[in-house]
Amino acid sequence: MTKEDMLRQIKIKERRRKILEVIRFILIFFILMLFMFPVYWTFIGAFKSMGEFYHYPPLFWPKQVDLNNFKRALFDYGGLKGLIDSLIVASLNTIIVIGLGVFLAYSMGRYRFGGDSLSFFVLSLLFAPPVIATIPLFLIFKNLRMLDTYQVLVLSYILFNLPFATWIIKGFFEDIPREIENAALLDGYSRFMAFWKYVLPLALPGIAVTALFVFIFSWNEFLFALIFTRSAVQTLPVTLAGMIGGHMIKWGELSALSLIAITPGILLALFFQRYLIRGLTFGAIKG
Amino acid sequence: MKKKKRSSIRKNELKFAALMALPGLVALIVLVAGPLAYMVYNSAFSKSLAAPIPPRPVGFKNYIDLLKSDRFWNAFKNTMVIMGIGIPVQSFLGLLMAMLLSREFKGKRLIVALFLIPVMITPVVSGFQWKIIFHERFGPLNYILGFLGFNPNIPWLAKPSLALASILIMDTWQWTPFVALVLLAGLSSIPRQVYEAANVDGASSWQIFWRVTMPLLRPIFTLVVLLRIIFIFKIFDPVYILTGGGPGISTETLSVYTYYSGFKHFNVGRTAALAVLQLVIITIIAQLYMRFVMRRREEVQRS
Repeated sequence: MTKEDMLRQIKIKERRRKILEVIRFILIFFILMLFMFPVYWTFIGAFKSMGEFYHYPPLFWPKQVDLNNFKRALFDYGGLKGLIDSLIVASLNTIIVIGLGVFLAYSMGRYRFGGDSLSFFVLSLLFAPPVIATIPLFLIFKNLRMLDTYQVLVLSYILFNLPFATWIIKGFFEDIPREIENAALLDGYSRFMAFWKYVLPLALPGIAVTALFVFIFSWNEFLFALIFTRSAVQTLPVTLAGMIGGHMIKWGELSALSLIAITPGILLALFFQRYLIRGLTFGAIKG
Repeated sequence: MKKKKRSSIRKNELKFAALMALPGLVALIVLVAGPLAYMVYNSAFSKSLAAPIPPRPVGFKNYIDLLKSDRFWNAFKNTMVIMGIGIPVQSFLGLLMAMLLSREFKGKRLIVALFLIPVMITPVVSGFQWKIIFHERFGPLNYILGFLGFNPNIPWLAKPSLALASILIMDTWQWTPFVALVLLAGLSSIPRQVYEAANVDGASSWQIFWRVTMPLLRPIFTLVVLLRIIFIFKIFDPVYILTGGGPGISTETLSVYTYYSGFKHFNVGRTAALAVLQLVIITIIAQLYMRFVMRRREEVQRS
């Protein structure tokens, strides 16, 4: 083979690689469009009038950009109440869950407290379908006259959020080398102060992301809110479901309120993607 | 003397660990043990939320009735169909996407972030989004199908078999990117040297895929399948919003059936029995998961 032949071969290979690369990008772009389409449809839906929803062929972009749907959704259809109640429930639940979870996680992660049986208990709670808890909790909350209050949601969300937070934060503690506590203990710090002053600050970023997760889970929760609350407390998902229930669905207002409801989740996806896979696989994959 | 000192340190340690764990543990036990006992107890009674009839004990009758009822097996079957079709389809598509994304390129981080949006969206909203998309007359899906020359009048949500397919499509939309990104994490954890060695040995890309990539991805696949089984067992919000289990009971999943049984038919006993059954199934799955995680940890420690 002459030198020219070899150069030509390399050129052909190079060109083939480039073509494959272009195909790869076209495919990625196409798939991305496919998966973003439903979100896009909700987005433009928030700017459509009622008539534009019942238009054939469907309108693939909005004709006008006005905020009427948002205004009506928030002020005429209980969206504002939903927003405030969701914020209250999700914030309070997050504070309680992180407050309890950090200590439980440290105890389990560092001292193997409860061993495998406690780990198994926490995991089972994490995996169990929430619907199986609804009947007993409903009857208990009813007897305690707690239905349709903020407390009922703040407390019942502990059931799935605390196992989640504990499991994830436990993983973050396990990532921190044990030598740090040992050094602090040798310096004469108590066990608690060694944890508080040396380990906790190192785990703080992980804990903060876990808190965001817990917040989103509470924010998105629908089943418990549907069963345990009615009108005094109404979180966004319940408000949304109520707007679908009627005989005349207000698609525009519904889209507008949906857009508001999904914003925190989208922000989390955009800015904390590094931790997202770790959270969603319950810490099994450390992205 | 020394031994005594060590054991006192152990005791001290245990006391500290117990104190730290206490608040969270108490919260969990109060929230779980009480309701759990109450539920198992209720499953042995005939009791209604609606009628003021005093509950009467019926032993295992609720369980037997459940196992004899068509509606329970219908919900069971639907859940299994979603798993049986959804998980393989999502794994296959997810693997393709992961391989497309496996090379570094500009803007990859943004694309990965965008792919995470479907799993982070409020599930009620995903149900509602697809309700518009599947709309028989004004939805974009039928319009696009018509545009491409297919039948533009598919009754997605009105025909039982199609309604279940619609649920599968929605679930695939929501979870395939997640599966893809988990598999991507698995792909990028395979050391480059492994591929280089295979290349030197003159293996074709096809051989490398089947003999190197796939076997090394197996643990990650196991993880994805286990997680998807767990999530599909829980699936409620989007199904409830998209079809409400209908038409008829054609798309009722276990969670949706449990909800109706409790809060539409007000049958406490049967719902409790349903819940206990699901709890047993999920405990078995959690056991499998624990074993899997343990094995992985050992493997990591060995390597």
